[in-house]
Amino acid sequence: MDNRQLQIRLGLGAIALSLFLILIAIPNWVSVPSNVPHIVLSPVFWPYTLAGLMGLTGLGLVATGMSQTAGGPPLNEQIEDEKQGYLRLAAIAVIMVVAMAIMAKLGMVWTSMLMFMATVLVLKTRYPIAAFICAVAIPLVLYAFFAHVAGLAIPQGDFVRLP
Amino acid sequence: MKLKPLSLLASAILLGAMSTAALAEYPERPINMIIPYGAGGATDISARAISEPLSKAAGKPMVMSNITGAGGATGSVQVKNARSDGYTMLFARVGSHTVNPAMKATLPYTLDDFRFVTVYEINPVVCAVKEGSDIQSIEDLAKKAEEGGVSYSSSGVGSMLQLAAVMVLDEFGVKDPLNKATHIPQKGGGEAATAVLNGTVTFVCTNSSALANLIANKQLKPILVTTKEPLAGFDAPTAVELGKPALTELVGWTGIAGPKDLPDDVAAKWGEWMAAAVADERFMKTMTSSGSIVELMSPEDASAFINRQYETFKKLVDKLGMRVEG
Amino acid sequence: MTFLDSLMAGLSLVSNLEVFLALGLGVAIGVIAGAIPGMSATMAVALTLPFTFSMQPVTGILLLLGVYKGGIFGGSIPAILIKTPGTPASSATVMDGYPMAERGEAGRALGMALWASCTADLVSNLSLILFAGWLASFALNFGPPEFFTLILFSLTIIAGVSGESLLRGAFSALLGLLLATVGLDLIYGTNRFTFGDPNMMGGLNFIAVLIGLFAIPEVLAMAWHPTGHLGKTRSLGKNKVTFADYKKSFRSILRGSFIGVFLGSIPGIGAAPAAFLSYSEARRKSPNKANFGKGEVEGVAAAEAGNNGVAGATLIPLLALGVPGDVITAIIIGAFMVHGLQPGPMMFVVNVDLIYGLFIGLIVSSVFLLVIGSAAIRGFKYVADIPRRILIPTVLILSIYGVFAVNNSVFDIGVMLVMGWVGYLMMRMHIPAPPFLIAFILGPLLEDNFRQAMLMSGGSPVILFRGPITWFFWGLTAITLYAILRTGLRGPKPPDSDAVASPAKN
Repeated sequence: MDNRQLQIRLGLGAIALSLFLILIAIPNWVSVPSNVPHIVLSPVFWPYTLAGLMGLTGLGLVATGMSQTAGGPPLNEQIEDEKQGYLRLAAIAVIMVVAMAIMAKLGMVWTSMLMFMATVLVLKTRYPIAAFICAVAIPLVLYAFFAHVAGLAIPQGDFVRLP
Repeated sequence: MKLKPLSLLASAILLGAMSTAALAEYPERPINMIIPYGAGGATDISARAISEPLSKAAGKPMVMSNITGAGGATGSVQVKNARSDGYTMLFARVGSHTVNPAMKATLPYTLDDFRFVTVYEINPVVCAVKEGSDIQSIEDLAKKAEEGGVSYSSSGVGSMLQLAAVMVLDEFGVKDPLNKATHIPQKGGGEAATAVLNGTVTFVCTNSSALANLIANKQLKPILVTTKEPLAGFDAPTAVELGKPALTELVGWTGIAGPKDLPDDVAAKWGEWMAAAVADERFMKTMTSSGSIVELMSPEDASAFINRQYETFKKLVDKLGMRVEG
Repeated sequence: MTFLDSLMAGLSLVSNLEVFLALGLGVAIGVIAGAIPGMSATMAVALTLPFTFSMQPVTGILLLLGVYKGGIFGGSIPAILIKTPGTPASSATVMDGYPMAERGEAGRALGMALWASCTADLVSNLSLILFAGWLASFALNFGPPEFFTLILFSLTIIAGVSGESLLRGAFSALLGLLLATVGLDLIYGTNRFTFGDPNMMGGLNFIAVLIGLFAIPEVLAMAWHPTGHLGKTRSLGKNKVTFADYKKSFRSILRGSFIGVFLGSIPGIGAAPAAFLSYSEARRKSPNKANFGKGEVEGVAAAEAGNNGVAGATLIPLLALGVPGDVITAIIIGAFMVHGLQPGPMMFVVNVDLIYGLFIGLIVSSVFLLVIGSAAIRGFKYVADIPRRILIPTVLILSIYGVFAVNNSVFDIGVMLVMGWVGYLMMRMHIPAPPFLIAFILGPLLEDNFRQAMLMSGGSPVILFRGPITWFFWGLTAITLYAILRTGLRGPKPPDSDAVASPAKN
């Protein structure tokens, strides 16, 4: 992707977002009370203004994109194996979703230990033993600090409760 | 460093196993107390002041958690949805539990979702204008409001401050106070007081604690207090003196509530603890120094008190059409 | 009482060991708390408050002020080392601090942050002492219309942090403004994009968005290219800040300090906008303009001067008017009240010894900050030596705990993770993140003050031009916009090799 392509794509994205907001999101998901005395006071006035500006910015992006010459240097550094890269990103996404899902049942400490280990596996560290020790120790140290020094109720799960 | 977490882990597992083995008496672990407003506010100061004597009485720590947002609704919903084992309790406040339910149609909870164990603190409401303003008394204010051009600040839609200003105007005979006077909501209680000071609005009605220092420094002038007896430090007529006893319903309060299925024995425990906690000297000093009145209510009295205030507010809201839909 | 008498009275109040111990302890607590993402200075002050109830008033209040000042500086440590601002105020420090750490200059960046912080702190304290009365009465002239114009002007700083393309900066800012509309409407209390979820009604948590936008994209970039960092010099910052650095940045530090003092004395703005404004002014005036955002030491200095300049000045409305300028001073008012003290103009008459005691304590606190801050830097900078692939998961876990701590909400962790993906996409698309953040902070202020002004005037826009302050800011905005449009709208500069390498390490 060169600079010209990016600029045009962003512009088109902004225009699409603006249309989505004006046509669907704002009318449906912003409630307007019946007794608004003046249009500028309405809860939708500001979102509509922003959506309009977004559309204009999109047009600007497309226009400046068009005026550039095609075939500039690629913007992002290439990596060796893109497919592996996408797989790793997907793996992190799965880790995040699973972590959010099990946090209520398992509690924050155990979840974050598992999350740490899983992330380290995806990243393939050169120091597996150090990583393992960190995975166990860091959540415990953080728990000790936040629960006992800062006095917060860190969510505990249904299984093993920490003191 | 490596040893400490490991031994911690071991003791954790041990303790976990122990606690599941024998079903000890409530409370067997720290109790999570949710404060639905931000740090430094009236609710927060009150909650943190009582937390220490309360922890002592309960024999387990009380962990204070501020969960702010949406005028107290975000934190209140957390408690509504919590397990009713008595380990998640709420510091309920006038705004979150009488004004909000009376005003907001889409509020994600009602009064019936909670079981109140106590109300322990009452704050009188004070109305004030800027020092040097041509408004000398509440009658002046009412007269000026009738002519138009009066505005008031609040800490947001559905806050006690908003309802208080409207109720006061209504009591003093202003017809259609919603359209005669302009409501200019602010982001918080501090901002609401500042708005009077810098001339953005004409007056504000709020808890005495929020205005105490501005009045002591002669920057704001109190024109009404909603108590029966005169309030020390606030040189203004009381609602009773002005012949409006109905306004004595208009007070701020802080109480403690659990989810609606809170067991009776847990509620009973709370009654004992609170009786011990309010006797604490330092708690008393903290509360009275900010103009609050410590008054411990039994669960029944607390529910009756809250329901009575809710009904008063609801009637006013319905009469004037203040309900927030959508 | 003459000035000298007052000074002596104040001196006798603070001249005991207990006071200085409390002050030092406060600064130390603040630096450590600030260095932990999610533990903001606000939280640290709130947690310390109950301990001050049993102390002498001056001791207790100086303890809290120490925590506050320490916290504002402490936030810059993780901002520089792991791209995670410890407090919102230090988000501007990320822009040049983190690239410096990447280059192996963590020590230099941290040192600069400390020196700039202390200088600004001193300037701020002196301004408090000398101009409190004057600045406070000026600040009282700020009603919603004045605020609106001030914030409108502040939004022009977006142009200064947009990087390669102004339009992409505008795109980013608009995304931030739109996201900030989520929550209950201020004027009517109705729902906007909340889908009936009580967690959304309060709006998206600012710190969750902040950490999501800065820290989590690093995790994702690492997953995309786990070995990208190898071979780059990111070792121990043995290097230190030099006097030449300090001298070079001195003008920016001073300018930033005064920007901080000005914004701090007006209730309701806070430290983050001051940091960004100071940064963008420094960039505009600097001969090394092109190097800003890529690890320019002057950028770190300006950002830190801006946010620490606020710290002393927020006490101006507190002491001179009795009005809290932000959440922290609201908590500190609580500390005054517990001791039966009523901050406000009368205090300068009734408790003049306490006022001067506080002033002396504040001046001393700047020195304490320097000493304790240096010690903290020495301890923390080795973070730069931790292997990246262990550091990054640690940042992830730390962010989770920190974001939870802000509002005790698991929902906020979700917000942070989602914002992390948004931030990563923006990184890949070369959309700058700082405009998003500035807009997210200032957007609600702009809208609220606009609508409050409209309520005041019954819908007439004339009120937005009601006095000299509004004219001044309208004028300033117009001049700045003209300058931006003249130089900026020529489209993106051809990407030179430097610009490509810096935003994305993939």
